[in-house]
Amino acid sequence: MRDIFFDLSVRSVRLNFMRSLLASIGIVIGVVAISSMGMLGANMQLSVKQQLSSDVNTVMISSDVVRTSTTTGTPSTSQGVTKSQLNDIKNAAGTNVVIPIHRTNTQFTIGSTNGRGSIYGFEPNDIEKFLTLSTGDIPRGANDAVVGSNIATNFNLVVGSRIKIGPPNTEERPTVRVSGILPARGFASDGINTDNAIIVPDTWYTNQYGNKDVYDQVNVIVKNVDTIGDVETAIDEKVNRKTQVIRIADASSRLTSITQTLGTITTFILAIGGISLVVAAVSIFNVMMMSVTERVHEIGILLSIGTEKGEVRRMFLYEAFILGLIGSVVGGICSLVIGYSVVSAMIGNTAYFFMPDSIMYVPYGMVIGIVVCVISGLYPAWKASNMDPIDALRSE
Amino acid sequence: MSENPLIRLLDVSKVYHLESGDFTALNHVSLDIMENEFVAIMGPSGSGKSTMMNQLGILDVPTTGELHIDGRNVAKMTPLERTHMRRDTIGYVFQKFYLIPLLSAYENVEYPLILRYKHRDTSGKAAAVLKSVGFDEEMSSHRPNQLSGGQQQRVAIARALVNEPKIILCDEPTGNLDRKTGIQIMDLLVDLHQKGKTVILVTHDPKIAEYAHRTIQLDDGRVVAS
Repeated sequence: MRDIFFDLSVRSVRLNFMRSLLASIGIVIGVVAISSMGMLGANMQLSVKQQLSSDVNTVMISSDVVRTSTTTGTPSTSQGVTKSQLNDIKNAAGTNVVIPIHRTNTQFTIGSTNGRGSIYGFEPNDIEKFLTLSTGDIPRGANDAVVGSNIATNFNLVVGSRIKIGPPNTEERPTVRVSGILPARGFASDGINTDNAIIVPDTWYTNQYGNKDVYDQVNVIVKNVDTIGDVETAIDEKVNRKTQVIRIADASSRLTSITQTLGTITTFILAIGGISLVVAAVSIFNVMMMSVTERVHEIGILLSIGTEKGEVRRMFLYEAFILGLIGSVVGGICSLVIGYSVVSAMIGNTAYFFMPDSIMYVPYGMVIGIVVCVISGLYPAWKASNMDPIDALRSE
Repeated sequence: MSENPLIRLLDVSKVYHLESGDFTALNHVSLDIMENEFVAIMGPSGSGKSTMMNQLGILDVPTTGELHIDGRNVAKMTPLERTHMRRDTIGYVFQKFYLIPLLSAYENVEYPLILRYKHRDTSGKAAAVLKSVGFDEEMSSHRPNQLSGGQQQRVAIARALVNEPKIILCDEPTGNLDRKTGIQIMDLLVDLHQKGKTVILVTHDPKIAEYAHRTIQLDDGRVVAS
């Protein structure tokens, strides 16, 4: 059987239904604000994390500026990964995929329109190891090229379109034929930003720009991301034996930094949502004070016939709890609908909405809503329990 | 004074500190009330009857003097002990019934049992007591505002009795009832007295006071006849 003080609280809430309902609406709004904002932040984090995590298994290797001595003693500099260093990297990387990359910037002309972008040189079969084409195929012929989504969209390129590479005022410019188009890749943490790029076979690239056995970057795609540290150490020990000749990096530190920043933003927007809960708390406090004021006589009766102060306190805390529970349950349900809409509108991707890291903000918001209500009821409950029964009985 | 009174007041005074100055509501009152007495407290308005009832009901403590109830000095009890004595030793019947408006008649009677035993009544005691005061069983689920004055006072008496207190304090128990119902309620109190309860009632009606075996007259905060 239920606690009689809980029954009294339920009946009091029912008796003042409209007032209780209005107070609970404040909690509903607060819970919706906290839960929705929390879910928005969580979805932002999950989305970015997922985007960056797709490249987190990639080790990026570039040349450090190395001073070497020639036979004549004149110092010279080298800014690329050499063929022998590439072989060392391949040996150290074991069965992991090693992709040497040529890269520079270029001007180009499509029809009569000039443009500028990056040009990458890959061994054609390497392209499919980390990129997926939306249209067409990887380069099969010597003059074939794959283009990024922005270039394709901006210049209305289709498979078969021709691109003249080089400054417009050059008399004889090489031409490539579009064999495939890449989907939008966005900001890629593996250093290969293809959206504004043209990707050509490495033989075409070195024919045009030279540097056949020198690479601008080498990426190692690690099969098991847990071994990335071991692979980096192996490469470092193999290639940077005597001096630092190559720089080794991966996306995890950048991912950590971005995740932390997004976490801070989430906390901030949660705090903004929390303001509405503070307003709701004031409303609950007000309702509870009204309830105590209206029931002074009843409190007098309770105290005069032997009700303990703690029992009177409990009765009012139950009432605050009930208001919080109603507001939180309704708020929780509304949060799912509103949160989904907000995430959909702001991020455009609801794939992570029902993941635990996101959906947990609903119970969080509900618990916070109930706790805020009970805290708001503490003073009114204390005030009720400390009334003088004689004064309370006189207050008709 | 007698050896073991149920209630003993020793030189009890109650002074209220008002802005207009101190007001002495009870002035050096000493008296004993024995177990199974039926006492009426009478006096004109402002004579200290209500203050006396508040003292006897342990809703208040004396400013000076000693009040002993059931062998215990009230002033030396903790607030929680006083609450428990109100709950277990004293049954209070008010002029305006003072039932809990959110509870049914049955629940109002059950309430003191819950306070004492910390769980709902499964023994049927509340229903039995309600029946013993002549309350219509079919009305048990009605809220106080659905009952007549006489019915409400019967519920209030049942509530006062349910924890089997030694003392029944009645503050103008017939004040809000018609004459016929008032007589029924007084018959009920006489019956309780005959069953061994100590009944103390405050009244300004001499005819009601005639039911008691002893009348204490108060005037200006002093006992003028006992």
